[in-house]
Amino acid sequence: MTSRPPDLRELVGDDVPPDELARLGRVHDLLVQAGPPPELPAELAEPPQATGSVSVLPRRRWRTIAALAAALALAAFGIGWLAAAARDSGGESLPKVEFRVPMQGTGAAPHAVAGNWPMAMTVRGLPSLPAGERYQLWLTEDGKLIASCGTFHAEGETVVYLNAPFRLRGKGWAVTREGSKQLLMRTSTI
Amino acid sequence: MPRVSERVSDGDLIQRVGTGDRSAFEALYRRFARPVLGLALRRLGDRGRAEDALQETFTSVWRSASTYKPERGPGAPWLYAVARNAIVDRGRSRAEAPADPPEEEAIEPGPPEQAEAAWISWRVHRALEELPEHERTVLELAYWSGLSQSEVATFLDIPLGTVKTRTRSALARLAGILEEELQ
Repeated sequence: MTSRPPDLRELVGDDVPPDELARLGRVHDLLVQAGPPPELPAELAEPPQATGSVSVLPRRRWRTIAALAAALALAAFGIGWLAAAARDSGGESLPKVEFRVPMQGTGAAPHAVAGNWPMAMTVRGLPSLPAGERYQLWLTEDGKLIASCGTFHAEGETVVYLNAPFRLRGKGWAVTREGSKQLLMRTSTI
Repeated sequence: MPRVSERVSDGDLIQRVGTGDRSAFEALYRRFARPVLGLALRRLGDRGRAEDALQETFTSVWRSASTYKPERGPGAPWLYAVARNAIVDRGRSRAEAPADPPEEEAIEPGPPEQAEAAWISWRVHRALEELPEHERTVLELAYWSGLSQSEVATFLDIPLGTVKTRTRSALARLAGILEEELQ
């Protein structure tokens, strides 16, 4: 909307002593150089729910936990195998995605469904994409894509480590090709 | 939940975050969320990835704040480094088609100039967050809304003289905050 920087004298008036005007002028130049700060989207108005033991897990540790506690976590969150959206797979084995959420909050009920969840997502059966193209994992609500959880390559069985800094109740996940809104897979709602 | 005073230094906040202080974490987020997002947008050029980098930055802050050593420097550069790492990680994850080498001399700023500009934006945006709301508002309207001072006065429903007074006060306050850059 703005096309040119404002005039400093117009901003502060003509009665500013030269020394102060020079000082304000340096700030003025920095403001012009910096440009506008971005607006935060509503979903980022508050910091990620990084409380509790979820987000503070070192990566190496939560990867280990992800590997060991998969079945338990799946049961705890009710996240299961994704059903392929494509109906015309012609008898081919359906792509499958499994989410493993290592911290199910059994010892910290208040944080059980809100947190910065480290997740291990195992993908099987997704075809490899041409060079430069990627899949994208989305958080969904009421079947709509509401936030990107990141992009990934899939080759054979692929494990992708992600963080989900969102409130999870009422949410699910879906996979698309990056740049496309067509759902290739989706979970049921948590 | 108790609010952390805006006068607490960045370094103090980071140290408190390192002890698991949630209110300090929220205060730090209020101060730095827009500067981090601005830096990420500048580096990544993509809103979605920049927002991801913002979240990753603060996840990293929460996880690693206890490693911050105040004797090694103020908090803002430490957080800048954390943000830069998160942004670089996010940038690496982007699949890009190999580009042909440019045939003409690049006219865009080189890496040193880009780094300098990014750092200045970071500090300015960070300093803006320290201004009182009524001063920050007049500055943002004056510099980036395209409104004249008279239009700002009409928009805010305050006298033109008040707009100029607030603008001058805001610039002076900002000058104090940005003293390092001005020296």
